[in-house]
Amino acid sequence: MMDSITQKAGLIAATAFGVVLVSSAVYTSVSAQGLPEGFKKGDLSPAPSAEMIEAGKRVYFTKCVWCHGVDGAGDGPGADRLWPRPRNFNQGTFKIRHTASGELPLFDAKKPIAGQNDLFETVTHGLPGSAMPPWEGILSEEQRLQVLSFVTTELVKDRKFTDKQSETQTILQLAELKPKPATDESKKRGAELIVEKKCVECHGMEGRGDGNAFNLKDDWGFSIQPANWHKCWNFRGSRQDPYNVANIFRTFSTGVNGTPMPSFADNTSVDERWDIANFVSSLCERDTLGNPLPIDPLTDKPKINFVIPSDLFEGEIPAEIEHEAWQKAPKRLVAMGGQITHKPRNFVNRIDDIWVRSLYNDKYIVYLLEWDDRTKSIAEGKLPWAPTQVNIDIKEQDPKTGEEGSIAANQNNYAVYNDAIAIETAVKWKELPAPIKPRYLFGTNDQYPMDIVKWEADGSLRAFKGTGWDKDFEERDNYEEAMKLVKSEWKNGRWYVMIQRPVGNKKDQDYDEDTFFEVGQYIPTVFFAWDGHNGDAGRKMAVSAFYYTFMNPPVPQETYIYPVVIAVGVVLLEGWVLTRRANRKKGKTL
Amino acid sequence: MKALMSLGALIGVAGLLLLGGMVLDVVPSTYIRLVEGYMPIQMLLEVACYVIGFTGLSYTLNAMGMAIPRFWQGIGFWVFFLLYLKYRMYPPIPFSVRAMYGTVSLVAVFMWVSASEEDWQKFKQPIMNVLDAQTGGNRILRYLYLVLLPILIGGFSFNAMMPKSEEPIELRTVHPAPPASTKVHGKTYTLQTSQNPYRVNPEGKYDQEFSNANIVEQGMGRLMKPNANPWDDKNQGYLKYVREGGEIFFQNCHFCHGDNLNGRGLHAFAFNPIPANFTDPGTIAQLQETFIFWRVSKGGIGLPNEGFPWASVMPPWEQHLTVDEIWKVVLFEYWHTGYYPRTWD
Repeated sequence: MMDSITQKAGLIAATAFGVVLVSSAVYTSVSAQGLPEGFKKGDLSPAPSAEMIEAGKRVYFTKCVWCHGVDGAGDGPGADRLWPRPRNFNQGTFKIRHTASGELPLFDAKKPIAGQNDLFETVTHGLPGSAMPPWEGILSEEQRLQVLSFVTTELVKDRKFTDKQSETQTILQLAELKPKPATDESKKRGAELIVEKKCVECHGMEGRGDGNAFNLKDDWGFSIQPANWHKCWNFRGSRQDPYNVANIFRTFSTGVNGTPMPSFADNTSVDERWDIANFVSSLCERDTLGNPLPIDPLTDKPKINFVIPSDLFEGEIPAEIEHEAWQKAPKRLVAMGGQITHKPRNFVNRIDDIWVRSLYNDKYIVYLLEWDDRTKSIAEGKLPWAPTQVNIDIKEQDPKTGEEGSIAANQNNYAVYNDAIAIETAVKWKELPAPIKPRYLFGTNDQYPMDIVKWEADGSLRAFKGTGWDKDFEERDNYEEAMKLVKSEWKNGRWYVMIQRPVGNKKDQDYDEDTFFEVGQYIPTVFFAWDGHNGDAGRKMAVSAFYYTFMNPPVPQETYIYPVVIAVGVVLLEGWVLTRRANRKKGKTL
Repeated sequence: MKALMSLGALIGVAGLLLLGGMVLDVVPSTYIRLVEGYMPIQMLLEVACYVIGFTGLSYTLNAMGMAIPRFWQGIGFWVFFLLYLKYRMYPPIPFSVRAMYGTVSLVAVFMWVSASEEDWQKFKQPIMNVLDAQTGGNRILRYLYLVLLPILIGGFSFNAMMPKSEEPIELRTVHPAPPASTKVHGKTYTLQTSQNPYRVNPEGKYDQEFSNANIVEQGMGRLMKPNANPWDDKNQGYLKYVREGGEIFFQNCHFCHGDNLNGRGLHAFAFNPIPANFTDPGTIAQLQETFIFWRVSKGGIGLPNEGFPWASVMPPWEQHLTVDEIWKVVLFEYWHTGYYPRTWD
């Protein structure tokens, strides 16, 4: 306990020192009243009524208590298996605000207005990337205000929202600040500023959140990760509108209380902040035309397409991602969840999506897999189990351990294993009429097994046969020699792995063990990913649902012939109708 | 009458503007919420409102001397219905289903325009006019059709023949028939006769009425009854077990089924089929408690053969939880959603 307090104090001191250092070193853009540019002094909101608080208690004990706990200390039954942990309300530390760094967020029980009520918006839109869901549509507006009335008065214990002596409100006037157009010039300036303002030290050279992956802690001593700018839908403050630069501008101006993310209001002008926001927003994943990815309103994540198309490439498939064929190949987002079906379960998967592209020729199919992983992990020495072993001895997180033993406290303290990725395809998929697939995870049995190709960060590429979720893998004869690891590279928080495997044929391959890829067919495909620094190994991994690999057939000649024939037919038909009509008018009948 | 019709016209215009906004993506299609579970009936109501609005609109325009010919009315209504299906419905309906609805509504439109011989004549008059090409405008139109029709039809068939990789439509069995009995942790439970041992009254007797009186209230938020807080330390019996079930739920199940049991948990977006939504009247509200006990214990891997495609990632919870814990979670799910379990009779 003593330890964590000193640690905390040290951390706060260090952060404070850092902020002072940064703000004094760089020129300050402070307005006439001594406020940072874009901010205005505001008044504290009136206290909510006793009825609101009482009604809110009922909401809290139905919906919130399960994670946030009876005393609002963020220690409910669900807390220890979550990372980030649920918010501890007691200190009054809230991340997403319109108020200056360190201040309480905006909350007024009578004003559910966007931009003027931070806590209300957090409850309404949730905090993506954490377990906090959007409560809009579940709780009425009134109920959301009630529960916040209860939280801010009864569960925030160290501070008072109405205490004029100790609390101030310095409010970012976001509604009055017009966003700067995201021109190339603005983005270029933003790109320079994120280096100058040292954003890259934590967020990484490419903004994948890999700059300082091991040492960042929040106010409660738990490891936290800098945001990955390429996944704006996971920004806590994205308010279900991830491509909106104003959200980034706000976070950057106010800082994130309770974390090492400071406010940059004092050492950047409003203009510079728009440049940075424009640049950061421009990094978020977009489609090939540069448009924002369509967001699924049910999940607030990009929409998923379960077909992974593979394009035909004549000749040897290129190893360079920059090659035109790869640039043109359709790119698909594969969503990853924690493997929580069988023990050991992975409640916190640090890999939550993979980008997949594919090309094929007459002999091979190549998958290009790219995924963000803040930590490059290669196990030191030999792993204590064979590569084929699935049933390995990894302890699963206990449900209730208290803060010290929780998943959040374990981050960065796991034994380091290999980062890894695997592509699993159904063997004999043709014998399973759609939509039937082999049983999930590693196949049904010997009769309907899975073909598993696994790459590990130690450079190995292996082929296995999976015959059931609890069966150790079987090695496949000679298959590894037929495969090729075309590329594997970790750069600035992202893995790039290119795996080539035979499309399969009855002559050289084993029908009972290898997947035969056929053009124009839907081949059930599953992806697995392991983050070595998350202690991922064996069944502790991230998994996808069943996707389909679909090798696009070359366009058959008939596609060009038949439409012309049809068009000619239509012309003839038109002629017939017109003649008939004309004849009838003349009184003739055919 | 006139005022009524003007009101109808107003509704029609407002509705059209709203739909137009949705088509052009100015108004999000969730602007008017589709209530979960009541979507079909809401859709019918909305379309009925539109029809009333259109009647009013047509009447008003008629009175103003700007009557729309029957021909355009028919086409307009059909186009409206197609747009409505495509842009208003959420979650989106697959194209095949929309095509079916489109065909049915086309037939309906034809029936409407050919209700009487006179109507039918009026309807086909514009077509005949173009065929006869008596005026200059019609002549131009006729040549336009002559050229455009083959090009369009050829283009469509080219598009249709281009190889595509669309997601195959996957049917699945939502609630497979349960077995007569299930064996969990070495003990056999007959589904028809087993009871949740924690659904008890203060005397410790199985009592569904008592528990039904203590579940959350239906309506927005589904909040607990004011005097039935499971977190009250003085609780004994049912509410204490609900709380214990909730603790297990929030340590194991919410990752997929969500903090509000609506199937939108942390990992839910990665899985297909998406996790069950217990607040939907089509899931646990329709099923018996022992059915849930069987599904929870055996998970996706324990689905019977007809329960394909077996892609469910639902864990066989007997691997993780004791029998008592499973019963308590089931108890909690009914408490939290405010549904009564169905009985076998």
